[in-house]
Amino acid sequence: MQGISFRRSSVAGLPAGSGSALPALLLVGLFFIMPVVALLLRSVTDPEPGLQNYATLFGSGTYVRVFLNTFLVASVVTAVTILVAFPVAWMLAIMPPAMGSIVFGIIVLSMWTNLLTRTYAWMVLLQRTGVINRALMGLGIIHEPLPLINNLAGVTIGMVYIMLPFMILPLVGTLRAIDPMTLRAAALCGASPFEAFRRILLPLSLPGVAAGGLMVFVMSLGYFVTPALLGGTSNMMLAEMIAQTVQSLLNWGLGSAAAFVLLVVTMALYAIQLRLVGARRAGGGI
Amino acid sequence: MLLDYERLGWLRVALVGFTAAVAAFLLLPVVFIVLLSFGSSRWLAFPPPGWTLRWYQQLLGDPTWIDAALTSARIAAMAAMLAVIIGLFAAFSLVRGEFRGRQVLRGLLLTPMVLPVVVFAIAIYAFFLRIGLAGTTVGFVIAHTILALPFAIIPITAALEGFDKSIEDAAIVCGASPFQARLRITLPSIRIGIFSAAIFSFLASWDEVVVAIFMASPTLQTLPVKIWGSLRADLSPVVAAASSLLVGLTFCLMIVTALLRRKLSR
Amino acid sequence: MTRSFLSIRALRKTFGAFVAVHDVTIDVPKGEFLTFLGPSGSGKSTTLYAIAGFQDPSSGDVLLEDMSLLSVPSHKRNIGMVFQRYTLFPHLSVAENIAFPLRVRRRPDAEIKRKVADMLALVRLENFADRHPGALSGGQQQRVALARALAYDPPILLMDEPLSALDKKLRQEIQAEIRRIHRETGVTILYVTHDQEEALHLSDRIALFREGRIEQIGTGEDLYLRPASEFVAGFIGNSNFLPAEHLQTARGASTIRLADGSIVTGIKTTTSFGQGQRVRLMVRPEAFRLAPGATSAALAVEIIDTAFFGDRRRVMARTAAGDEIDVRPASDAEGADSATTSGKRIFFDPGSAFLFPA
Repeated sequence: MQGISFRRSSVAGLPAGSGSALPALLLVGLFFIMPVVALLLRSVTDPEPGLQNYATLFGSGTYVRVFLNTFLVASVVTAVTILVAFPVAWMLAIMPPAMGSIVFGIIVLSMWTNLLTRTYAWMVLLQRTGVINRALMGLGIIHEPLPLINNLAGVTIGMVYIMLPFMILPLVGTLRAIDPMTLRAAALCGASPFEAFRRILLPLSLPGVAAGGLMVFVMSLGYFVTPALLGGTSNMMLAEMIAQTVQSLLNWGLGSAAAFVLLVVTMALYAIQLRLVGARRAGGGI
Repeated sequence: MLLDYERLGWLRVALVGFTAAVAAFLLLPVVFIVLLSFGSSRWLAFPPPGWTLRWYQQLLGDPTWIDAALTSARIAAMAAMLAVIIGLFAAFSLVRGEFRGRQVLRGLLLTPMVLPVVVFAIAIYAFFLRIGLAGTTVGFVIAHTILALPFAIIPITAALEGFDKSIEDAAIVCGASPFQARLRITLPSIRIGIFSAAIFSFLASWDEVVVAIFMASPTLQTLPVKIWGSLRADLSPVVAAASSLLVGLTFCLMIVTALLRRKLSR
Repeated sequence: MTRSFLSIRALRKTFGAFVAVHDVTIDVPKGEFLTFLGPSGSGKSTTLYAIAGFQDPSSGDVLLEDMSLLSVPSHKRNIGMVFQRYTLFPHLSVAENIAFPLRVRRRPDAEIKRKVADMLALVRLENFADRHPGALSGGQQQRVALARALAYDPPILLMDEPLSALDKKLRQEIQAEIRRIHRETGVTILYVTHDQEEALHLSDRIALFREGRIEQIGTGEDLYLRPASEFVAGFIGNSNFLPAEHLQTARGASTIRLADGSIVTGIKTTTSFGQGQRVRLMVRPEAFRLAPGATSAALAVEIIDTAFFGDRRRVMARTAAGDEIDVRPASDAEGADSATTSGKRIFFDPGSAFLFPA
């Protein structure tokens, strides 16, 4: 015990201890927990008590396909994001700061730019007569415009674009925490750059890759805007299906059941992600 | 040697090239949309056949766009203010409190950031339909405050964790009341965290689409809802003009943030 | 033709306008323990890094058995190295760390197993094979690093201040270990340190670096007993320096006048000084005596302080000119227990003193 603690003595002013979290707790309890719980109850009470909403959800080929497609898109997006983000994070971790800060600036600019703006840009860029198709045709690489929008390709490009910063930024931290001397030691031990990457750099950055990848996967699972605008009707994702079921079909029971499934999967994966990050901290920044 | 920039050899050429390509990929849509907004083609042909300010004139001449922008600004400002104040109080408790379940409380307050927005959107929409807050400014502000709260709590707790409490105690020993000590010593010390919290929670509301789509009414819609509607209808160049203004705003915000941070951290 | 095993030829390294290493040339015979000693920033580590291949020298060459190493990438140089910081691979066990260089060389499993066991025995960590580096003490980690560096029988072992992160007791323990391993394996060792005691204790020869150049190279005895410059004398062991004026030199023995006017004769000199040239007289603290000897010169001083250190005493004295002198007589030496007084005289043998240009 050092010094004198005035922790409990605050009567006026900013309260301390547990009390000052009360407004936040009240707000979140009243307008977050309660509505979400009410929604979940609705999945087993609307239109009548029972599990019929879940039966519909898992019994119908249409909905099962939505689930599968959601996992497929999230997996593809996560895999591509990791593959693209790793080399960038690697360079950002060791680049001269002057060069690195330009790339960081671009990452932040893209991250802070309005989500709809970015998605809109991709809609225009990827359309049949869009710049990308024109450029590819102009270069003679293709002769017919590629279908780049309203399908898996469109969703993947748009989602990877949005997820990249969320993968790159934490990964830079992981890679910076690795002592460059370790890699020098590996080289002197006779490891070629490939061997050093495979046996040292990759294993050492794996916790960061796993944590970031899981975060991207979780975010992708529940993403609404980008899949709705860049995806096709044949590969609808869960979030869009939930919104449609409630908004257009006014089927609250079914929508709530789907929302519950999404919530359970998301929270479970989030818990695993917290474990990963926590374990990494306990392991001394490895 | 894989982590020695100078000693990567040909690998460095490849990796730097790749990084530059990714940076270009990240920059491409932003630059593209700004260029397009000045193009004269109604069909968004690129490169544009000519340059024009027509889309900006249409945008600024349309009261529904102006209304939507003002609504967004009003809601975002209120949500950000509430989130920062409530978040500040919560942060004191999360950092300084010594009660059981502190970590659980932190997890709970941060959940709105993790839960898929669409789940929260239909939940709060259903709730507000029942209590008559759907389609109202109050409803919007409440929902957006919840979504913004984690973005306020994270930077403030981080700043507070980095602040040595014994400095505050020293002020109290010098005769300041605990309230004065916090107001005059602690708050100024964590001002960068508070400032970040304000920016992030403002952006969280300003850019929010999903809840807004559900909550919007014909008489109350935010800018993202207006853009969303236009996107679903057609790819009008007016959206490009609106988007470019948003990009400009982001850019200004980034510069102001960088400058203020530099000034505040002195 | 006598070829040296490892040869560093006119090695030079510049960073912009700053010259880190100034045309350093050293020949190292096989099996030697050579230490690069010097203050930080003197170019000793840079020289070592050029041998390891972490930095390309600006000019010069490094030859191993007459073959240039410079165009060989680090991972093909077949050099062992122990680093200042612990560089064990944190995700691999002790045994896997030692096996790493053999695995990347694609040696057969049986050989790897045998070699790892040998190495664990060499550094006496047989019972730690399955531990992870995080569960080892600093001293144990450096022993594993040593085993890893020697596992592939490299002809040369580089050591970059390997003991600087350890506390004093552990340092001495590992020093003994390193000496034993050098004896048992016969590997050629290049060792970098800023600690002169460590250098004296371990090395066959010491190369003393100063501002990118080698100030003197020789055995510890050479550097201590025959320092080539004031810098060497000051860096190795403890020294007292007194300003003086050179009067004359005859048959390698000089006569000088100290600041208080007293004349000292018979100081061994290899450099030639002009008459009246300002010089500095260097006398080791342990060369001073508190009682007169047969050939001794005397110095009038005031005793400021004395302290007892077990085998030695430490006496702080001050000359009339104001120069402080550190005297370290043996505890039982005559007059060693004298109290703080003025008007004392201390004595030294001019044959054990040195003259350097001021």
